[in-house]
Amino acid sequence: MTQPLLLSVKDLGISTVQDPRTLVNQVSFDIGLGEAVGVVGESGSGKTLSALSILGLLPRGVEVVSGSVTFKDKNLLTLNNEELRKIRGNEIAMIYQDPMTALNPVMKLGKQLLEVIASHGGINESSQNQVRALLSEVGIPDVNRAMESYPHEFSGGMRQRIMIAMALLLSPQLLIADEPTTALDVTIQQQILALVSEARKKRNMSMLWITHDLGVVANLVDRLNVMYAGRIVESGTVEEIFRKPKHPYTAGLLSSLPTSTGTNRERLTSISGVPEKPWLVGNSCGFAARCSRAQARCHSEVPPTVITDNSSVACFFPLGGN
Amino acid sequence: MSLEIKDVEKLYKIVSTDTVIHALNGIDISLPAGKTLGIVGESGCGKSTLARLVTGLEAPYQGSITWKGLPIHDVNKGSFSTKKSVVQLVFQDPYSSLNPRQRIGDAISEIITVHNLVEKNMVETRVSELLSLVGLADDLKNRYPHQLSGGQRQRVSIARALAAEPSLLVLDEPVSALDVSVRAEVMNLLLDLRAKLGLTYIFISHDLAMIRYISDLVAVMYLGKIVEFGSWEQVINDPQHPYTQALIQAMPDHTVIGNPESLAKTLEGEVPDPVNLPTGCAFHLRCVKATPACAVEPQSLREISSNHLVACMEA
Amino acid sequence: MKNKEIKTKGALHYYLQSTSGVVGAVLVLIMVIVAVCSIFGITPYDPVEQHIDNILQGPSAHFWFGTDDFGRDVFSRTLEGMRRSLTVSITAVSLATILGVTFGILAGYVGKWFDQLVTRVSDVFFAFPAILLALAIVASLGNAWYDTALAIGVVYTPIFIRVARGPVLTVKEMDYIKISRVLGFSSFRILRKHIFPNVFAPIVVQIALSLSWAILTESGLSFLGLGTQPPTPSLGLMVSDAQPLAAFAWWTLVFPSLFITIVVVGLNLVGDGLRDALDPARRSS
Repeated sequence: MTQPLLLSVKDLGISTVQDPRTLVNQVSFDIGLGEAVGVVGESGSGKTLSALSILGLLPRGVEVVSGSVTFKDKNLLTLNNEELRKIRGNEIAMIYQDPMTALNPVMKLGKQLLEVIASHGGINESSQNQVRALLSEVGIPDVNRAMESYPHEFSGGMRQRIMIAMALLLSPQLLIADEPTTALDVTIQQQILALVSEARKKRNMSMLWITHDLGVVANLVDRLNVMYAGRIVESGTVEEIFRKPKHPYTAGLLSSLPTSTGTNRERLTSISGVPEKPWLVGNSCGFAARCSRAQARCHSEVPPTVITDNSSVACFFPLGGN
Repeated sequence: MSLEIKDVEKLYKIVSTDTVIHALNGIDISLPAGKTLGIVGESGCGKSTLARLVTGLEAPYQGSITWKGLPIHDVNKGSFSTKKSVVQLVFQDPYSSLNPRQRIGDAISEIITVHNLVEKNMVETRVSELLSLVGLADDLKNRYPHQLSGGQRQRVSIARALAAEPSLLVLDEPVSALDVSVRAEVMNLLLDLRAKLGLTYIFISHDLAMIRYISDLVAVMYLGKIVEFGSWEQVINDPQHPYTQALIQAMPDHTVIGNPESLAKTLEGEVPDPVNLPTGCAFHLRCVKATPACAVEPQSLREISSNHLVACMEA
Repeated sequence: MKNKEIKTKGALHYYLQSTSGVVGAVLVLIMVIVAVCSIFGITPYDPVEQHIDNILQGPSAHFWFGTDDFGRDVFSRTLEGMRRSLTVSITAVSLATILGVTFGILAGYVGKWFDQLVTRVSDVFFAFPAILLALAIVASLGNAWYDTALAIGVVYTPIFIRVARGPVLTVKEMDYIKISRVLGFSSFRILRKHIFPNVFAPIVVQIALSLSWAILTESGLSFLGLGTQPPTPSLGLMVSDAQPLAAFAWWTLVFPSLFITIVVVGLNLVGDGLRDALDPARRSS
């Protein structure tokens, strides 16, 4: 890591409160200042929970059971609600898959955005202009009219732009994005990705981008964490992960995607079986049951995370040797 | 030609605002038996409306849809007919496609018994046969849908569609809701079934990569019209309509990496409101090649090379 | 057949895990046993027999709940009253369920003008307070127990229409219903096999809750003098009669009131328990 650290997650464990089931296990990753990190995983892999725990936004019935989340020099997991509230929006902002959950349906947009500023320190005469500038930066046409409109008057893509403007309003140092383009059409998704990429560079803002779609993050982030069954199974630069995947799951996932070139009507390389539930993994590699390289010890031991240079892999028999 | 869609139009009236949406406008498609037609387009392009018309769930406002010369609506009258159809349907969401209170075995055998497809004492055997055809274990018969994974549910949905012994299967985003690592297996299953049973597919998706992978013919739709039509090689490898070109460019591609500039080259603006369609070519507001004439002249498909149709004067 | 067994066993299993459900079921069961006792005349005395020597006696070994101002045994009258209340409310709710669920499901499934008509009519019924509407119907029909049951049944029908119609609207839009149509299933089959089982749970819960309200309504009507007529006992009528006596003969008021409370609370708890047991989402959590 060349940049100074902004956020460091260490040995994070998350589990349900009642009849404890492990959902996230021993997750560690860092985000450097100005760095964009992607988290790729399928449903139930723990990617969203890991991100939500950073801001203390875990859903009811789910709690952090171990580990630490260090942002600058504070452990976010030990802060109380009021201290966390000051950090949310201000220093760490979040955008979601469904913008309607983040926007108040009965408040005009202009007022709503000013509220955000007001709740974190107060409005002054430049606030109005600040909001206008941001709305036009995210590509909202006719800003004056938009300020007087309600969220439902915008299309899905426009709402997503508005939510991004709202997130950027207080110049956060870290933006957490939870699959914000999944529900959008491909051309709109492309627009949003370009917008976020541009805004991030301009501000030297760090970013954590959660997705199930490897294609989305290929040109968006610097580093990638691949999650499977509650653990990070591989991490590295985008280049390393896509070109030389070490974990059999990453490799399998990449080769199972149909490409934009080549012939059709050929069988795809597929991974058999279904993703394992994190709490059923126990003392084994979560991927062992679906893995073609698995041997006896994969079913009886948890593979340790082996760190080399900038990358890590949790596998006894990684591709390309150890 | 087995499936003939001729000049089909579909309108939806919105009572509350007293407006009309032109969901489909002059759709013409001929699909030979055993071939797969991929339909690609963004939300609101009319691809799912077309699926409902082809399966007989709704009737076209104008035009005709025939299978081997017989109108689809006679072949399958939808709700009030007890005739089984040659056209069956698989939806995107594996969670809403199955009755949550019906066991898997019952959900399949119901179709067989309602239409008396096999002798009474052979129903169980047929159910097992169908389950193994879609790669599911026989003991799944006694499970309820919520005990199955998304991929398994989608296989059950396919097995149910096959239980009615269809010739044409309409697949409306069949893998979009599945986990990425499960998609490839379901796609492979669809390939195998097509080869084994000689099925004709209409494969609807927003994902060009999947379309490219499975289709013989590809139709690109935009705002209720087909803007490009041809073999998959023609449409995907040599796209002529600016919209098709933009779609291909916007495809998230894991083979091109670490190139943020690639994000910038993209289509501007959004799909216009279908209630107030733009004049001329509906795409001209977002089109990089648009000329003043595009705002006036409506475009219709014309053949630019053998069987490659494009609705664009600039192509 | 086999399927059904396992399914009901599953629901019962979850029901028995709910504390409120079990407590409610026990309370209701006691009240039902009490009512059955009265049907077979297993009461200490005839509920209308007047013990002239024992007017307004407090609870004792002879008269467990004491006697009223006519010297009638309050315990026997309470049992008999409970039977009346349950008979009337079960009849009323059965009527409301059959009418309401039929119209509700059809309105939701058929839609269009039929749905408009059914919802408008039930909206009109909803506009009146239940007790007022029941009062008007009873006043025009008569005082027999079935008149009361009919009145309460009519008043509660719109509730069942609403409870059945809502889920049908949701379920109707599910993909599996569209698929059923493409598969060529008849409307009757779709309604019976694919829609009804999925709207069944809220209806069962509504039955339990409506029974408790019906008991209150019946008591209310009797209290107002429009339900059961004296000397036949009914819980509401007993409470009404006990009002002037309550200051010096508390038992005439307390015991019938207590029985109303127990059965109403019991049915409400049963409703809660059923809601949890029949909802797979709540089960798994």
